[in-house]
Amino acid sequence: MSEIEQIVGRYVTIVVQGVSQRIYFETAGQGRPVICLHTAGSDTRQWRHIMNDTEITGQNQIIAFDMPRHGKSLPPEGYETQEYLLTTETYIETVLAFSAALGLDKPVLAGCSMGGRIALQLSAMHAEQFCGFIAIEASDFQPAWYDIDWFHRPDAHGGEMGAALVSANISPYAPDVERWNTLWMFMQSGPGVFRGDLSFYTEDDSLIGRLGQIDTRSAPVHIIVGAYDLTCTPEDAQRTARAIKGATLSIMDELGHFPMSEHPEGFRPFFIDALARMPLSD
Amino acid sequence: MSLREDLGQMQKALEARPHLLRLGRLFSQTILFKVDEDEFYLTFERGYLTTVTPGPSRKTPWRFAFKTDAQAIAAFWTARPDPGFHDIFGLVKIGRAEIDGDILELVKNLRFFKEFMALGREART
Repeated sequence: MSEIEQIVGRYVTIVVQGVSQRIYFETAGQGRPVICLHTAGSDTRQWRHIMNDTEITGQNQIIAFDMPRHGKSLPPEGYETQEYLLTTETYIETVLAFSAALGLDKPVLAGCSMGGRIALQLSAMHAEQFCGFIAIEASDFQPAWYDIDWFHRPDAHGGEMGAALVSANISPYAPDVERWNTLWMFMQSGPGVFRGDLSFYTEDDSLIGRLGQIDTRSAPVHIIVGAYDLTCTPEDAQRTARAIKGATLSIMDELGHFPMSEHPEGFRPFFIDALARMPLSD
Repeated sequence: MSLREDLGQMQKALEARPHLLRLGRLFSQTILFKVDEDEFYLTFERGYLTTVTPGPSRKTPWRFAFKTDAQAIAAFWTARPDPGFHDIFGLVKIGRAEIDGDILELVKNLRFFKEFMALGREART
């Protein structure tokens, strides 16, 4: 049976650090705005199940966008001669510029993996612009347990290698169809994109010194982590939660690093619980 | 079931999977699989596991080695392993396995090798 989903996709052009970026974004639902950030090396499609969940979208406007070079957001002009290395500063400015371009009033910010890391950075540095933070598979810092240069080389397919590597982070409880949907997005990742994301994720440890600045009284922080996540382990998330006064933490026993994509049914109650912990819009 | 028998079952299971043979069509290497003190040299030719040679042998060159222990590989070869035991890199991360040699060659053929190693689950169950 054919069925048109409720997700709507559009484009918006923003300027980040003086560079024009044409951003693809999707929205679904009405109510409190919730920006959802994808992981490294992937795109907005990771949030497809949350965006099609009418119980969630009945009260929340779920908004997800593809970072530049990811999914349907083209690279900036001149990318062909540039080395892509995402930085904390660029990432923060991208999220803030996107939110401003859509005219969002203090949205909830939810992010997974590197998206969760930047959510915590924003909770430390720009909390006044959000009403709360949901940091999924996120922690203060993880050095790489692999060589990020593996994923951008002329003699091999970085996307396929990246997918094979990150499959280590998917739970054996994940339904096969969603496991492979999740991996497909990594296989499609543009050349050097996963490496450039990982540069931010595995080399920038600036969040460690900022965790004490986070004031959860004005904007709550809830961290969610899967037991099968080898990259951000439950121990990493627990360490981070302990360093943020007032932060709360949920551990998902049967999920991995891409919970909203790899095992939507398993993730759903944890995300609904997290949303319930966030303040409602004025 | 002995490790040698496990590997024999995995060899047959590999040959029954056309998609895996296709993934491994450029993989022609000998690798060392070591479980505690038991060593096996697995020679692949264009994705087929052609020979399984018990070691130890100092005369057999290998491209990369995957070394673990019997309890860890038994946990890995269950239908739904516990966290850390669910992936070969997970075993490395929790300190129950080592990968030596040309890791890049492994990474270039990672999906093939991971899916081959996971065939042991079928052999054990």
